[in-house]
Amino acid sequence: MKLKIASKILDANERIAQDNKRVFSSMGVYVINLMSSPGAGKTSLLEMTINELDGRLKVGVIEGDITGTDDAARINALGIPVVQINTGSACHLDANMINEVLGDLPLNDLDIVFIENVGNLVCPAEFNVGEDIKTMVLSLPEGDDKPLKYPLMFQESDVLIINKIDLKPFLGVSIEKIKSDALSLNPSIRIFEVSCKTGEGIDEWAKWLHSTLKA
Amino acid sequence: MHEASIADGLLRTAISVCRDNGFSRIEIVRIRIGRASGVMPESLLFAFDALKAETIASESSLVIEEVPVAGYCNTCKRDFTVSGSFILCCPYCSSNSFTVKSGRELDIIEVEVGEDEVKDCLKDT
Ligand SMILES: Nc1nc2c(ncn2[C@@H]2O[C@H](COP(=O)(O)OP(=O)(O)OP(=O)(O)O)[C@@H](O)[C@H]2O)c(=O)[nH]1
Ligand SMILES: [Mg+2]
Ligand SMILES: [Zn+2]
Repeated sequence: MKLKIASKILDANERIAQDNKRVFSSMGVYVINLMSSPGAGKTSLLEMTINELDGRLKVGVIEGDITGTDDAARINALGIPVVQINTGSACHLDANMINEVLGDLPLNDLDIVFIENVGNLVCPAEFNVGEDIKTMVLSLPEGDDKPLKYPLMFQESDVLIINKIDLKPFLGVSIEKIKSDALSLNPSIRIFEVSCKTGEGIDEWAKWLHSTLKA
Repeated sequence: MHEASIADGLLRTAISVCRDNGFSRIEIVRIRIGRASGVMPESLLFAFDALKAETIASESSLVIEEVPVAGYCNTCKRDFTVSGSFILCCPYCSSNSFTVKSGRELDIIEVEVGEDEVKDCLKDT
């Protein structure tokens, strides 16, 4: 006999994500899910952002990696509260993994939590974890064909940070193509161009964070 | 790939729905997957077959209905579908103003269940 179900396969994840979101917002914490392919510069962006904010916004970080604690150590060195999640074989963070570490950050004292997702341009886009916005990093050496090759990530993200613009003179990539393809996939995506090496553009991104948190 | 975690969630849901309704065997699990969902049907089938062993779904098959990506053009007011996994512009008038109507589905539709066969020697006793 047939039993009708009619539910979303990711319903269970979605419910937990909503729970997480309630916890964060009840503590007045704004949450950013930070995604990119491996090595695009997520941790570097966090380091630069933390320095630029200079304590004016209280930052906490959740680091997701398949294995290891290198990224958490880099954040810890800046005196910022950080929790490391090791996902084992999983190529993305899911809502339950975040739920399990909610008690490990001093949420009451924080204004903003960055969740650095596992380096992967595909799967993290499908799993909400309870964030307010999704921000993706694309670095220039990855090439200007990425929006059309990985559309879901660009469609799901609220903010696109184009990183490593200091390398532009050495690469035959078009920032304009990245921007126009990203905008045609997602007309409301907000784009910043930065270098985590020279610090170019970090001030604008930090300014935007300030104004977003005030709103 | 995360098709494994999706297959795992799918199996758990199917098994609990089956048990909750008093049945002991799953025959078919039917799902709907949009072409823009990021999930590969082949990988999902592979993961499902690997994970179903030694569950009440061990003899079951996963039936996947693929849903194309469809949109509605706000400029020329026409419905359209595309063959790939995303829409860049309206295929009729090239307008960038469109609404995505389908393609992101990841839904369980139904499970077909049954009872384990009662052994002959236990019948009519
Ligand atoms: N030239 C240049 N190098 C950069 C820039 N940003 C990051 N890098 C370098 O890129 C490499 C990877 O940076 P990470 O910040 O570790 O990248 P990630 O995205 O956190 O990497 P995973 O966590 O492993 O996915 C490091 O060697 C950085 O020094 C940049 O703007 N310019
Ligand atoms: Mg990192
Ligand atoms: Zn049109």
